[in-house]
Amino acid sequence: MAVTAGRLAGRRGGAAAAAFGQWLASAALPAGQLFRLLPGVAESFRRGFVRSSGSQIPSPLMPPLAGRPSVVVSACNEAGSLPAVLRELKRLPFHEIIVVVNGSQDGSFAAARSFDGVIVVHIAERLGHDVARGIGAKLSTGDFVLFIDGDMPVSAHLLSAFLVAADRGVDVALNDIMPLLPAFDRQDEVTRCKTFLNRMMGRDDLEANSMTAVPHALSRRAIEMIGYDNLAVPPKAQTLAIRAGLRIQAVQTVDVLSVNRRRTLNRGRDNPVARLIIGDHIEALMEAMKSAGTRLQWGQVSRDEFAIRRNGI
Amino acid sequence: MRHVQRLRPRRSRVRRPSAPQVPETAPIGLTYRFFEPLIPKQNHPEPLVSVIIPAMNEAGKIAAVIAEARAVHPATEVIVVANGCRDHTEMAAERMGAKVLAFADPLGNDVGRSVGAQAAKGQILLFTDSDMVIPSSELKPFVHAVQSGVDVALNDYTGPTDRSLVHRVILAKYTLNSMLGRPDLRGASMTAVPHAISRRALQTIGAEILSVPPKAQAAAVCRELRVEAVHRVEVGRLNPGRAAGGDPLEKLVLGDHLEALAALVAERGVRGGFHDGERRRSMVR
Repeated sequence: MAVTAGRLAGRRGGAAAAAFGQWLASAALPAGQLFRLLPGVAESFRRGFVRSSGSQIPSPLMPPLAGRPSVVVSACNEAGSLPAVLRELKRLPFHEIIVVVNGSQDGSFAAARSFDGVIVVHIAERLGHDVARGIGAKLSTGDFVLFIDGDMPVSAHLLSAFLVAADRGVDVALNDIMPLLPAFDRQDEVTRCKTFLNRMMGRDDLEANSMTAVPHALSRRAIEMIGYDNLAVPPKAQTLAIRAGLRIQAVQTVDVLSVNRRRTLNRGRDNPVARLIIGDHIEALMEAMKSAGTRLQWGQVSRDEFAIRRNGI
Repeated sequence: MRHVQRLRPRRSRVRRPSAPQVPETAPIGLTYRFFEPLIPKQNHPEPLVSVIIPAMNEAGKIAAVIAEARAVHPATEVIVVANGCRDHTEMAAERMGAKVLAFADPLGNDVGRSVGAQAAKGQILLFTDSDMVIPSSELKPFVHAVQSGVDVALNDYTGPTDRSLVHRVILAKYTLNSMLGRPDLRGASMTAVPHAISRRALQTIGAEILSVPPKAQAAAVCRELRVEAVHRVEVGRLNPGRAAGGDPLEKLVLGDHLEALAALVAERGVRGGFHDGERRRSMVR
């Protein structure tokens, strides 16, 4: 379908991106699946376009964006993977690329500087990924910001879905990790905490998807409502985003789990990263309780009804 | 009427082997239970084990439940907290020699347990429910665990977890245990019966708190009591949310878990005692 549309558009001539945008508006792709399908559809369209027009269209093909996208990369001793990460980012129409190099003793800084047009922030001490993202967000000037880590290259195709989602009004565009997860009894504690927070906040539809995972994209409005300092504790940021009624959606699946599994600190039971994130979720729930009360939305049952129901267990 | 999963096939649910012979001159009035000569029908005056059973309109099952409860140990007292009963639950329980605490209004199972615990004299408090007959062989492991030093002996059962999205209550139980730093407990919870606690545990956390079981669990873990999931009894009772959407009981249990987390934070700080890693929060404002 998309190949044919691309071929027709290619025959007509004109700019591929604009033609793709037009076709996307007319093609009735299911709204809930749009961002998930986008990379595949765009590639098909591009191939059709190239075949009939004979011109070179760089991939990934993206519909024209209304806003300016920024990206923040946090890097801590990631000289090895950083060039690959930045190469992928360079394929996308970013308004600015900000790399926050922190606590790095290796060549991370030089690796980031070797790319043209990349803004590099260097901080001698380790900040933690989340704080680094907060600093990057504060420095950024785009209409929406993609957040990614320097240790795992993600294909530009997949990232394009986050940009399009954010451009089309998704305030918090999350990585949909659900297809990567096993059944509940084999899930790790962190995954359960993420699901618990979402469900306690009344967002069962988000399942285990969370701002704790990258990549994710935030609109400027979301960043300002959440507050830069709160970005440092992603589950807390998520709580605030839900409470503020922002549009939060899991848009595309990027396999970050297999990379995480290779990290020595983030492996096995009782690892330090897991304990950090569990603490984050406790903090997030406390934040929610500040405004909604201890029982959040789970308290509106009269004491008498409690008693009767309790017996009914 | 909710579904109660059978613990064993019906045939094996014979309470205990019947005595081989009937004494010809059994005293009148005892003959109706001649086949259970070893199980006393009265509460032990100085019990080691107190079994606490909240009951609301369970006249039909209460006798069998008490009989099983009484068989967990020779020195046992059975306390039935009859609340909001409109049938003959009290009478049936008294006939079985249980101590009956009667309340006109429904209290709820958790409040019932709390009230029963205050009246208990034993060194071991075993909690079970009146709406299902759990064989004494399935109750004994909890008593034995407390006898061997466990303070809070939990049922190692949560419900079906072999799917990606489980019931909210199951999720809450697992998550609370993780946040308490006890992922090894998995979904075991004081919300579920049977469970047993030591007198030391009761004195440490107080009987009052038993009316909000997840809070009691958080208190027990925070006060460094020995909390363990000791034995699995497949009580098919986990899902208050069977009726889809807005089940008040589900709300109740979830709210209880959130209260437990707030209590945890009061005890261990806003991160529940978990570290903040290498985060330099002051760097971003």
